[in-house]
Amino acid sequence: MKRSPLSRRSVLRGIGSAAIGLPFLEEMMLTSAAAAAQSAAPVRAFNVFFGLGIPAPLQTEGYDGVLEPLKPLADKLLIMRNVDQVRCDEKGINAHFDGASGAFTAEPPHGEAKSGGPSIDQVIRKANYPDGLPPGMVPTLVGGTFFRRSRISRYVHSYNDDGTVAATMQERPRDLFERVFGTLRLAGSNDDVKKQRLKRSILDSVVEQYKFYTGPNSPLGSASKSRVTDHLDRIREFEQRAFEMERPEGSPPLPDRSQLLHGGQADPGGEGIDITLKQLTDEWRLMADLYATAIQMDRTRFGSITFLAAGERIRLTGDYEYGGRKVFSFNDRKHLNATGSKGCSHEYWHRFNPDKKNEELRAHAHMKMREIAWFLSRLDSKDCLEANGRTILDNSLITISTESGDGRHNDVKRELSGVFHAMTGASGRLKTGQIMDVGSEGIDVYNTVIESMGGKTGLGPKEREKRRVDAILA
Amino acid sequence: MTPRLFQLLPLLAASFLCCTPSQGQERISSGLQVFYDFRGTEGTIVKNKTSLGKAADLRIGNPKPVKVRDGSLVITGKTQLRTDEPPQKLIDAIRKSGAITAEAWITPANTSQAGPARILTLSKDSNERNFTLGQDGKKFEFRFRTTKTGKNGTPSLSSQGGTAKTGLTHVVGTRSRAGKSTIYINGKKVADKKVDGSTVNWDGSFRLALADELNFSRPWMGTFHLVAIYSRDLNSAEVAKNFKAGPGADSSPSLTKAKIDPQVELFENQIAPLLSNHCLECHDTSTNKGKLDLSRHGKSFADDGILIPKNHVDSLLWESIESDEMPKDRPSLTAAEKTLVKKWIAGGAKWSLAQIDPALYVHGNQANENWIQRLTTPEYIATVNSTTGVDISAQANKRIPIDLRADGFSNTAYNLGVDLKHISAYSDLAGAIVEEIDVPAFAKRFSSKRLLTDDVMRALIEKMGQWMLRGPLEAHEVDTYRGLTTTVASAGGDFDDAVALVIEAMLQSPRFLYRIEVQQGDGTDWPTAPFALASRLSYILWGDRPDKELMNAAENGSLSDRDELAKQVKRMMNDPRVRKQSFQFAEDWMNLGRLQNLLPDPGKFPDWDDQLASDMKQETLSFFEEVVWNENRPLSDLLNAQVTFLTPALAKHYGLPPKGEAIAKHDLSKNPDRGGLLTQGSILTIGGDEASMVTRGLFVMNDLLRGVVKAPPPCVDTTPVPSEPGLTQRSIALERIGNKNCGGCHSKFEPLAFGLEKFDGIGAFHAKDRHGNELRNDGEILFPGTAESVKYQNSAELMNLLSKSDRVRESITWKLTQFALGRPLSAGDAGAVEKIHTGAIKGGGTYVDVITAIALSDLVRKTKTSKPNQ
Repeated sequence: MKRSPLSRRSVLRGIGSAAIGLPFLEEMMLTSAAAAAQSAAPVRAFNVFFGLGIPAPLQTEGYDGVLEPLKPLADKLLIMRNVDQVRCDEKGINAHFDGASGAFTAEPPHGEAKSGGPSIDQVIRKANYPDGLPPGMVPTLVGGTFFRRSRISRYVHSYNDDGTVAATMQERPRDLFERVFGTLRLAGSNDDVKKQRLKRSILDSVVEQYKFYTGPNSPLGSASKSRVTDHLDRIREFEQRAFEMERPEGSPPLPDRSQLLHGGQADPGGEGIDITLKQLTDEWRLMADLYATAIQMDRTRFGSITFLAAGERIRLTGDYEYGGRKVFSFNDRKHLNATGSKGCSHEYWHRFNPDKKNEELRAHAHMKMREIAWFLSRLDSKDCLEANGRTILDNSLITISTESGDGRHNDVKRELSGVFHAMTGASGRLKTGQIMDVGSEGIDVYNTVIESMGGKTGLGPKEREKRRVDAILA
Repeated sequence: MTPRLFQLLPLLAASFLCCTPSQGQERISSGLQVFYDFRGTEGTIVKNKTSLGKAADLRIGNPKPVKVRDGSLVITGKTQLRTDEPPQKLIDAIRKSGAITAEAWITPANTSQAGPARILTLSKDSNERNFTLGQDGKKFEFRFRTTKTGKNGTPSLSSQGGTAKTGLTHVVGTRSRAGKSTIYINGKKVADKKVDGSTVNWDGSFRLALADELNFSRPWMGTFHLVAIYSRDLNSAEVAKNFKAGPGADSSPSLTKAKIDPQVELFENQIAPLLSNHCLECHDTSTNKGKLDLSRHGKSFADDGILIPKNHVDSLLWESIESDEMPKDRPSLTAAEKTLVKKWIAGGAKWSLAQIDPALYVHGNQANENWIQRLTTPEYIATVNSTTGVDISAQANKRIPIDLRADGFSNTAYNLGVDLKHISAYSDLAGAIVEEIDVPAFAKRFSSKRLLTDDVMRALIEKMGQWMLRGPLEAHEVDTYRGLTTTVASAGGDFDDAVALVIEAMLQSPRFLYRIEVQQGDGTDWPTAPFALASRLSYILWGDRPDKELMNAAENGSLSDRDELAKQVKRMMNDPRVRKQSFQFAEDWMNLGRLQNLLPDPGKFPDWDDQLASDMKQETLSFFEEVVWNENRPLSDLLNAQVTFLTPALAKHYGLPPKGEAIAKHDLSKNPDRGGLLTQGSILTIGGDEASMVTRGLFVMNDLLRGVVKAPPPCVDTTPVPSEPGLTQRSIALERIGNKNCGGCHSKFEPLAFGLEKFDGIGAFHAKDRHGNELRNDGEILFPGTAESVKYQNSAELMNLLSKSDRVRESITWKLTQFALGRPLSAGDAGAVEKIHTGAIKGGGTYVDVITAIALSDLVRKTKTSKPNQ
C-alpha cells in the first residue's frame, strides 16, 4: 500500500494554536508511516457527542435548518431521523442523564456512575483487536470540551463491557496532547498512567486553592499573600519536575495551559458559567485538532470526543457567524433575563415549542453542528487520504449522537424519541449521502453496525430478539 | 396618630423592652462602612459619618413626608433616601469580605407595610439587589445575594410573625463569609439559616436607599434613629453591645479616632523608636552619659535647653543631631529622621510614655506584619493524627525540612517558609496518610450514602471538609473538590477512590497546611472569626487542631462570649496536650535542640559525649515539668527552684552523688551553688568551651531581662579570648568593661554572667579553672530601665534576684506570648501583654495562669486587619 502523504504544513494547520515543532513531527510521521503501511485502512470507531440535542421537529428541515453546517459533508454522512432511545429511560432520573447514558450504548445507566453496558466503539474494538492494539498505541482515547460534570455519562462516551469508563477523560488540550504524544512519569514511582493522572488532578485542585488565596478575592493580607505565592511557585516547580514528560528528542512544547475553567470550578453545583463563543470554540477546536491529529498519525483508533456535556450549563455570549453571514448574537443571560442555572442556554431546550421560532435554540444547535463539522472535516482533508483513495472520515465509523430528541422534561417518550444520529460510511459498509427516517430503536441500529464491523456480540440483553436495520447498510 | 404621641412612642416602646438599652455605651466600630445617626440633618442631605464620606450621603427624594426630630428621621409618607451614585467602596468591601451587618434602630409606623417594605436596601429595583433589610407585615426580612441565591437575594431569611411591632426596635441582619445568615431583634438572635455561595456576583451599579425600593415600589414608613452597615458579620455579643449602646449612641469610636493627638502618634510611632535606636545606647538611665537620660522625659529638659517645645532651633537635642555631632561614633540620622525630630519638637515635643523600653522597638514594623502561620512539623503531625487517626510522625520527621528558629522560636510565622522539599513531602505524605486511612469508615462519619452524584458528594465534601480543614468550606472549595471526584469517576474510579483523592487533596490544601484567617478589613482589629479563634486556641494550648467540642462551640457562635471562651480554655487545660505543648515552649525558649550539635574540644572535655548532651536536655525538661506541672509553681521559680533531675552520669559530671540507674530527682537545697535553669548544663553550655561571659551574659540579658544592646561594630574581633594562668574569664570581661569603646554595652550584660563563673564550658562546677586561677561567683546585676546595679555575693543570690524580678517575670510572659502568637512582639502589643501579665501574676503566675490569660486576651480574640488597598 502506498502511504498517503502527510503534509507537514497541513498538520501544523490542523494543530491549530498548539505550536508543534518540526523535528517532532518528522518523528511522529515516521511512526505513523510504519503503522499505516498496512494493506487496508484499519478498523476505527469513534463516538462524537454533543449536548442537549436537536429537537426532532427541527431535524425534519434537513440541511436547510440547524444541520446546515453538516451540508458540505453530506455525501459522507448518513443522517438518521426517528431513532428511538426510550428503552434507556431510568425512572425518576432526568433524561439529560438517561439519554446521554444511552448514546452509543443503547442502555439505561447502571447506577449513577456506570453505563448500562459497553459503547459501540468498544465492542468493535474488542471484536477486531481481541489481542489488543499494536504496541505504543493509545487503546482508547476519550476527550472533550465540556463543563457540566455531575454524572460521568453526561460527558464520557466510551464504556467497557461492565459499564466502567473505557479511558480517563482528557478535558484539557494539554492533557490530551500528553496522553497521545508523551508519557507522564511521576518522579520515583512506576505507577500506571491513570494513577499519575489522578495525582496530577490532586495537584491541579491544590493549585486552584493556592491561586484563590493569592488572587483578588483572597482574605489574606499582603505578607500572608506573599507566603502563599511562594508556596504556589514551589508547587509549580514540583509539578514541573514530578510530571515532566518523557518525549521524543526534539519534541515540541506543550500547548499552552487552558485558560478556561476546568474541574470543579467549571461546574459550580449546576449553576453554570459565563463563557464567550470565542473562548469556547478556541478550546474545542484545539481539542478537536489534537484528537484528529492523533487519529491521522494512527496513535489511536477508538474512543469518543464530547462537545459540551448533556444538560450543559453555559451562559454564552458573542456574535455567531456562519458562511459569511451573522447568524445570531448570543447573550443567554440577557435573553433569558436570569442569572445562575436559569440563565443558561439549556433553558431554551426546556422551553422548546414546535409552534414557535425557537430562535435561540436554533442558533445554539446550528453552532454545535458547525463545531462537529469542524472535527469531521479535519479527518476529511487531502492529508487524510488513505490507501484506498478515501479519507479517514470515509474509512472510519464515526457515530454522532446526543442526549434527547426533545428537551422538555415532561414526556419521557417524546424526549427519548427521535434522538439525532449520524454515521459515516465505515469503509463503505453503511449508506451515506442520505437523510433517512430510520424508525428503529437505537439498539438495533447499533447492533446492525456492530455486526457489519465484525462484532459477534451486540448491545443490550441477550434474550432480546435481533431486529437488523438493513436499510442503513450499503 | 397625633404628631405628639408619635414623638413619644419610642420612649414608651423602650420601656416595654426586656432589656432596655442604656445610653452612652460604646458601639462596635471595626468594619463599619456606613453610619447615619441623622443628627444635624439639614435640607435634603442625610450625612454619612464614616470615612466613606459623601459617597454614602443620602439625598431625600420627596422631603414633604420627612421630619427631622431629635436626631431621628420620621417618615410619614412615600419618599426615598438614596445615594447619588453607587457606593463603590461599600460594595467592594462586602464583595471582598463576603460578610455584612445591616443594622437599624427604627420605629415602624405600622405592622401592615409589606413587600417587604424596604428599611435599608442596596439594589436596582424590586427584582434585583445585593441586600435588603425590610419589614413584611409583622416580621422582618433579610435578603442577601450570593452566587447561590436568586438575583433578588431570595430565598430571604425572615423573623417570626409578631416580631415586628410599632415600637422602638433594634433590627440587625448579618451574613458571615461561611454562609450563616442571622436576624437579631433587640440584641437577641431570632432567626438564622445558611445562605451559601459567594459574593463575586455583587452588582457594582446598585445604589443604597432607605425607606423605599430604588424603583419606588416598596415604601416603608416609620422613624429612623440610626442606621449602620459593616463589611463583616458582627457576632451576637457585638450585636448585643450595639443594642445596649442604644439608638442615640454617639457616632462610632472609629469616627472619633482621628481625634487621637497626632503629636502623641508621632512620638510613639516614630520618635520613641528613633531615640531608642540612636540615642539610648549612651543616654539611658544606667549609662547616662553627660548625665542625659533620654529614655524618660526629664523635668528640666526645657530649662536646660535640651528640648524646648515648639523651638527646635534652640533645642540642644536638635542642634547636636542636625550638626551630626550626635550620635557620637555612630552613623548620623538620615535626612528623613531629622525631619521627623524637627517636626516633633516644632509641634510641641509631646512625650507620652513614662519610659522608652528599647525591647519594644527591636523588631521595628516587621512584627506588625500579619503572616499566616504554616503548621510547624510537630503541629502537622499532631493535626494529621487528630484529623485522620494516622500517626505520620516517623515519615514526617524524616521528610519535612526542620523549622528553623527565628527570634528565639521555631514557630515564628514569618520564618515558616516553604521550599520544594516541603511540597514534595506534603504531597507524598498525603498519599501515605490516605493509604493508612480506612476510607469507607472515614467517609461514613460524614455521609451515610455512598454515591458519586452531585448532591451526595457535595454534602459529603462540605461536612468532611469542615472537619479536615477546620472550618466551613467556601463555595469555590466545594466546587474544586467536587470536580476532583468527577475526575476520579471519569477515570473509572468508585466512591471510595473519590473520597480518598479528596482527602489527599485536602491534606495539601492551604487550609490544612496553614492557619488561614481573614486578614482583610479596614485596618482596625476585628474579632477573630469563630473557627479561626477555635484554631488559635487549640494550637496555642495544644499545638494541635480543635477537637469536636471546640468546633461545635465555633459553629454555634459561643466563642464570641468571653465566659464561654473561658470555659473552653478551662476544659482544654485538662488535656495532656497542654503539658506537651509547654515542653515545646521550654525546648524552643532554651534552644535545647542545640545540645545535640555541640562538639566541645575533646582535649579539654574528654568526658563529653552525646549521651551527656541528651541527659542535660532531659534534666531541663524534667525540671520544667516538676516546677511547672507537678508542683504548679510560678514560672519565675524556674530560676531558683532547688531541685533537679540527673542521670548518674550527669550527677557525676556535676560532682553530685549519683542515684540509681536512670534519671532521678535530686534535692539541691543543700547545694546553693546549683539550682535553677541557669545552673543547668543545657544553658551553661551556651558559653562555649571558654565559658564566655559574653554569650552567657547576653542570654540572661536578652532572654530574661529583655535588655537590648547593639551588635558590636564590624571591626571588633569577637573571637573568644581563652583564659590563661593569671587571666580568668572575669578579668578578660573586666578589661572589656573598662575599655571606653566597649564598656558602655558590655557593662550591661557581662556582670550578669559573673555569678556563673565557677561553671566551666560544659557545666561542671570548679573552685579553680584549669590554669589554677581562683574563680569567684559574686557580681552585680543591672535591671533594664534602672540606674543602679544590684550586687550579689554568689550564684544563689543572683538566681533569687532574677526570680523575684518583675522584669524577669514580665519577660517570661513576653516569651510565652511570643510563642503563643508565633511572632515577635512590638510596641503595639505592649498594652495587651501588660494586661496578660498583670492578670496572670494575680492568678499566681503559673504556666496555666499565663497561657490562660493569653488565650483570653485581645491578642488572640482579635485579628489585625489590613486596609483593602494593602
